[in-house]
Amino acid sequence: MANPSITLNAGEMIAAPEQSARRRWRTALMGPGLVMPALVVTILFSIVPIIYLAVVSFTEESTFFFNRPIYTLQNYQQVWNRYLPHVTNTIRLAVLSSAFDLVFGYPFAYILIRRVRYRELVRTLMTFPLFGPLYLAYGISYIVLPNGPLAPVLDFLHIRATSLLFSDPMTIFGMAMFTFPFMVMNVGTALANVDPTLEEAARTLGARPWQVFTRILFPLSASGILAGFLMCFGWNLGVFVVPLLLGGIPQQRVLSLTLYQKGLTQFDYGLASAMGIVLMVLAFGVTWLSLKFSRGALGA
Amino acid sequence: MSAAMMATRRGWDLRPARFTIVLQHAYIWVWLLLFVLPFVTTIVRSLESADGGHSLVSYRAVYGSFKGYLILSLEMTIATIVINLLIGIPAAYAIVRHAIPGKRIILSSLNLALYTPGAVMGISLAITYAFLFHIPHSYTGLIAAYVVGTYPLMLVPIIVALRDLSTTYEEAARTLGANRLQSFFRIELPLLGPGISAGILLTFVIVFNEFLVTLFIAGPGTTTAALRVYGLTRTGFLPTTAAVAATMQLVSFLVVLFFFKAFGSRYLKGTYLI
Repeated sequence: MANPSITLNAGEMIAAPEQSARRRWRTALMGPGLVMPALVVTILFSIVPIIYLAVVSFTEESTFFFNRPIYTLQNYQQVWNRYLPHVTNTIRLAVLSSAFDLVFGYPFAYILIRRVRYRELVRTLMTFPLFGPLYLAYGISYIVLPNGPLAPVLDFLHIRATSLLFSDPMTIFGMAMFTFPFMVMNVGTALANVDPTLEEAARTLGARPWQVFTRILFPLSASGILAGFLMCFGWNLGVFVVPLLLGGIPQQRVLSLTLYQKGLTQFDYGLASAMGIVLMVLAFGVTWLSLKFSRGALGA
Repeated sequence: MSAAMMATRRGWDLRPARFTIVLQHAYIWVWLLLFVLPFVTTIVRSLESADGGHSLVSYRAVYGSFKGYLILSLEMTIATIVINLLIGIPAAYAIVRHAIPGKRIILSSLNLALYTPGAVMGISLAITYAFLFHIPHSYTGLIAAYVVGTYPLMLVPIIVALRDLSTTYEEAARTLGANRLQSFFRIELPLLGPGISAGILLTFVIVFNEFLVTLFIAGPGTTTAALRVYGLTRTGFLPTTAAVAATMQLVSFLVVLFFFKAFGSRYLKGTYLI
């Protein structure tokens, strides 16, 4: 999970003038001292809770919080035996919505980088999805409601609004809308580094547009595509509110929602923790891959 | 005939290109419309009144009962920003300007919470707060969760800004007799302004709209505005709910707009907000 953009550079240290041994010690301790508060907060509220979660995931129901916890592997067995469809459904929805982002986000990023002069406007309006999937899903579900603004159009096309609203495509669209800016950001960064003269040269030499894409653009922006896809995938794995508002029962079989129901309404902390660990391992795996490929999606 | 041929021949070069360009811009605008459509329809819905007309009545109804949640949210957000600054600036400074043993591992662990899915963070903090720290449903717990989830986002723009800042300014100040603290507060901090502001903006947008982790760890007395909106959306499409959701987005958008006007988007590059 190393952030590759923040490289270690000894040259950035200030060259120290002649110093006494005590002052040298003070200088040496200053760096660790300044990072300490941040590190303490992280250990207390991020690392300790995750270790705690991992331990609880090996205990039966909520026995961990009684005098004698019962250690067992049954939570993971239960995830494997009964909730495997939830795991695969989570991954399926994340893959499909990230693919949607890629298919529609790549042209968007290309046009944005090559043609558009009003980039600030696009950037400003693109912050709306980033305010969160809650408002997005709420707005979208109101639009396609049986008596909502889109109802006359749907009637005209003979589409039943209810079949559209609580369906796979709607859920995937909602998830994709939220992560669309991440895809545009990653692909756009990669495309901005592709020299436009390469495309012109290919075209002058008689390449068809699709050849320009497959031979020039795609290979040169592959890292951005991969980074964007994995970033969208990582966000979409944790999807919670979109299936709740835009999906039906089949779409609501995702890990985040299930672990909420198990943990906070049925108090089966063991099972909820096991699901949390599974989800976290998936998300960290994806993040690790994306950071490996992106070379600085953060702070580049 | 030759004139027609000329026209088509000339058009062969020009017309498809121009047509494509129009199509390309149209594509961008379709997506821009999609970005704002959920927000616009939410506003339209919030303006509808029971008798079929349009009025601001749902907003008036909202600010009676919703005001408390909104104020709590703003307080939480400001507290988180202050703590983020207090622990983020020294950490960023140390990471760029000092030698720290195990720097890479430290950076990775600082970013850990950023990559944890909201529900996982929620469940882990819920059980930790309830059974280990014994601070369930507390302000402290909520703010700590927000801090740990957002200060990596504060760290990145400040690190970027510090990188861009040559050490010669600090050296000049130190040579002229300023001590370490003086040179930091008088010289470097003002120069880091845009980077720090970017961190503040990111923290604001995320904490103000955060409902998922909050859902796991908040109690009856610590319901934030975003969590209240989440609760209300579960009950349907009342104009008052729409008014609340629209207000949240409007506040966030105005903050973003103000920031873009003041500082541009340079220091946000590569972070959560493009």
